[in-house]
Amino acid sequence: MSTLTYTAVEDIPKVHATARKAFDSGKTKSLTFRKEQIAQLGYLIKDNADRLREALHADLGRPYEETDMLDFGPAFGQIKLAYESVEKWNKPQSVDFSLNWFPMRPKMFPEPKGVALLIAPFNIPIFLLFGPLTSAIAAGNAAVLKPSEQTPATSQLLAELLPKYLDPELYHIVNGGVPETTRLLELQWDHILYTGNGRVARIVAAAAAKHLTPLTLELGGKNPVVLDPKVDIKMAAKRILWGRFSNSGQICVCPEYVLVPAHFQDTFVDAIKETYQSFFPEGPENSKSFARIVTEAHAARIKRLLDETKGKIVVGGQTDVSKRYIAPTVVRDVTGDDSLMSEEIFGPVLAIVPVKDVDEAISFIRARDYPLAVYVFSHDKKFQRKVFENTKSGAAVVNETVVNAGVPSLPVGGIGPSGTGYYSGKHAFEQFSHYRTTLNNPGWVDTLIFNFRYPPFKPSYRKYTAALFGNLPPRPGQKPSFAKRWGFWIVFALVGASSVLLTKQGRLLSLTQLKGLIRA
Amino acid sequence: MSTSFYTPIEDIPQIHKRAHDAYRSGKLKSIAYRKEQIAQLGYLLKDNEQRFCDALKLDLGRPVQDTIFFDFAAVYVEVKMAYDNIEKWTRSQRAEFSFNFFAMGPRLRSEPKGVILGIAPFNVPVFMLLSPLAGAIAGGNAMVLKPSEQTPATAQLLAELIPKYLDRDLFHVINGGVPETTKVLELKWDHILYTGNGRVGRIVARAAAEHLTPLTLELGGKNPVVVDPKCDVQMAARRILWGRVSNAGQICLSPEYVLVPEHFQDKFVEALQEVYKSFYPDGPRNSDSYCRIVSEAHTKRIKNLIDQTKGTIVFGGDADIAERYIAPTVMRDVRLDDPLMGEEVFGPVLSIVPVKDVDEAINIINERDHPLAVYVFSQDKAFLNKVFDNTESGSAIANETVISCGVPGIPMGGLGESGYGYYTGKHMFDEFTHIRVSLNNPGWVDKIAFGFRFPPYKPEGEKQLRALSSSLPPRPTSKQQAVNGKRWGLWLAVLLAGASWTVLTEPGRALVKQLKF
Repeated sequence: MSTLTYTAVEDIPKVHATARKAFDSGKTKSLTFRKEQIAQLGYLIKDNADRLREALHADLGRPYEETDMLDFGPAFGQIKLAYESVEKWNKPQSVDFSLNWFPMRPKMFPEPKGVALLIAPFNIPIFLLFGPLTSAIAAGNAAVLKPSEQTPATSQLLAELLPKYLDPELYHIVNGGVPETTRLLELQWDHILYTGNGRVARIVAAAAAKHLTPLTLELGGKNPVVLDPKVDIKMAAKRILWGRFSNSGQICVCPEYVLVPAHFQDTFVDAIKETYQSFFPEGPENSKSFARIVTEAHAARIKRLLDETKGKIVVGGQTDVSKRYIAPTVVRDVTGDDSLMSEEIFGPVLAIVPVKDVDEAISFIRARDYPLAVYVFSHDKKFQRKVFENTKSGAAVVNETVVNAGVPSLPVGGIGPSGTGYYSGKHAFEQFSHYRTTLNNPGWVDTLIFNFRYPPFKPSYRKYTAALFGNLPPRPGQKPSFAKRWGFWIVFALVGASSVLLTKQGRLLSLTQLKGLIRA
Repeated sequence: MSTSFYTPIEDIPQIHKRAHDAYRSGKLKSIAYRKEQIAQLGYLLKDNEQRFCDALKLDLGRPVQDTIFFDFAAVYVEVKMAYDNIEKWTRSQRAEFSFNFFAMGPRLRSEPKGVILGIAPFNVPVFMLLSPLAGAIAGGNAMVLKPSEQTPATAQLLAELIPKYLDRDLFHVINGGVPETTKVLELKWDHILYTGNGRVGRIVARAAAEHLTPLTLELGGKNPVVVDPKCDVQMAARRILWGRVSNAGQICLSPEYVLVPEHFQDKFVEALQEVYKSFYPDGPRNSDSYCRIVSEAHTKRIKNLIDQTKGTIVFGGDADIAERYIAPTVMRDVRLDDPLMGEEVFGPVLSIVPVKDVDEAINIINERDHPLAVYVFSQDKAFLNKVFDNTESGSAIANETVISCGVPGIPMGGLGESGYGYYTGKHMFDEFTHIRVSLNNPGWVDKIAFGFRFPPYKPEGEKQLRALSSSLPPRPTSKQQAVNGKRWGLWLAVLLAGASWTVLTEPGRALVKQLKF
């Protein structure tokens, strides 16, 4: 295993200070600068694609193709989208027209939060760092990245490349393990994005609480698949197994278990075996198309779950902890209390849980933590809707697995134990932005309407507020009444018009108003 | 203060469970039911305006008009907005077009988070609870409200009325002080909205961290005003003083201090004096247009600040702790190390801080925590932009104070020490909902495009993937243009291959039949 140079703990506050100073310098205010940095991030990957593939092969035994598919493809998607959308996303947004308020021209415009801390896991180390970084740059933030110490080759390479391609004052990598991360978390950040597991997320959230730092948490969960027996079974088996075995099952949106009607289990298992044969014609151990587990510890953990299961192994089951190898495995007749159902497996083991019907499948999902995704394989709209409407999850996906996380314009985000906030595109941009509201209230607005607010309060106060704000929806069970408000405005306009025409003061006022309006 | 209306601590977990069960029952899936509940919320207030005014008179010594303006008006706006827009907000939306993925029909839809906890402060107790409640209902959530124990009359009234007007299983009020709130925070909520101060904000955030609960924090901050000497000083004085003395300064968006050029201080003070006289021709103490402080403790705290300041009193300065009265007060020549510039005053005391120029004003703002609002009074766009572009704050308001939170469509939200997340309208709705994404990938997509992903990986698969991958923007340093076309070439080839395959082979024809083209 390659060695990773850890950042000296005492240097970490300096890195933080450098990033803060660079942010305060205001150089990220330029959208051109942001675009340039985003493009550079793309070329960091593109120019060094082979080295990155090698590094991930060293760290995860990962086939090159999977690095292209899981890391490069989605990262390029984000880079392209952000590059093309920076101007659009950063435009001030005006609000729906409102008669009472339009002279004040209320608007909101996104501003960077400041310095963001991004902590990524080992499983998709490039996309899970650079995807959010793209959004953070698009929003004008500085950022400090903390790659996983479990992928030493990749993390080392990223630390080498980042300062070569990106502004070295604004963007930094801190490498290390628990002590380094602990030090990072003691500092004050303007936003923290953590991708990983619920246990560490609680530590991150507690640290963020001290500084009132907003958080995005992308966690995991056991993602279920609900199978309709009337589905194209070959397609289902292929897409489910692909999702489960890619990156050796170490993807947070991986399907973890499949709920099938008991009578349909045999048919599904047959299709699984056939697909398995087509994926690994010479067996998975020698296949160039199958990754390894990140560490021996994780390989041992998955092996233990397999050893303890009471389900029947359909395919796979072989393990070699010293080689970090867990064969792609499917286990049938798994029950809710099985070892395989006790925690997120995060490895290439798919559990098949037979159920009576779709209602039992729904109850099974509802009795557990909200997952990142619920997958349904069915051609029947009613079946799909039934499952989705009665469950909660980050994503609700039909006839596909995992791919949803790679669609550039679809946010990835969990709910409850699977996290909070969004990855990807505009939604991630919003996480790294603060929408600052603004209005500019011309003086004549008081003269015309809002003078009533000043003390001493007069009896007419209520009339003004009732006319301005008193409009409620119809009382449930009653018919709506209109006109009241318009009546007020008509009277108002008439009074205004006569005051303009009849009095000298009015004529003067109308001049100021006109000026105000022209300025507006 | 009587605590007889506090919720028994042992009932709190049951209330939580009732709300949770009611949420899970799915009755809020009906948009019609949500709308009915939102309308009911409006009528809860409308039918009982007088009782709320009376309660707030008791709790805050507040003039009826302040209650109408700050509590009722903003809730009515929210109710109307949520009611009118709920269909739009909850509608499933197509994701932005993407050539590679459009066949999968990617969509986004806002779904409820579950059971929301709302903890509100004493200062604007109706708006700060009922306006988020409108957003929570629109999003399809159940909600438990915790009003401030410092406004007991209002808190009791809410506890009485909410079950009369709204679904008794979905919506609840929990009353109490620290022990009750502590119990509430031990439970697992799907979102917590806390409005208050940074000290308690940290306690709430710590409790939320245990359950990974997402948060909206609306905190305070010392909101500065920057005055351009060329502004309409009468208007500035009137709007600033109004923002500071409304609700006796107990509004999180209240302007706390004014940065004026030294040479302009006298003129500004004169304008303030004039406005003061027009606001309180018979003095503020007997005015029926002036509010009191929430508690004796807070009155004492504010009086202490006035006693310790080294600034010069322009007017006001008198206090009566037993009556919870602090006169509307303006201090001039306040320095940055003055007690009035330490904590948030949250009372009717406005500090005037003379500065050399606008650059010094900007530096002063930047050396402090990010406030909820930066106010600028100026007719000069360059002046406005200079201040706004070089400071950070929740909102950036020109020539006005406080009322931005009542404007429909723009959110209220802080950053840094002033909190995070947004209040009001669609933004509040977004806080309380989760965007669930969906797609449906037809089987034929693998046949024509995405089949390469399945093992065993083949060399041509890599080419296909690269072609599908987004092209990069042009390299910043070189003048070389991005090479387009490549990708279209691939799709054309795929299309041709697909077409010929369909026409020429047996399985192709079978597939067409199956698809019923």
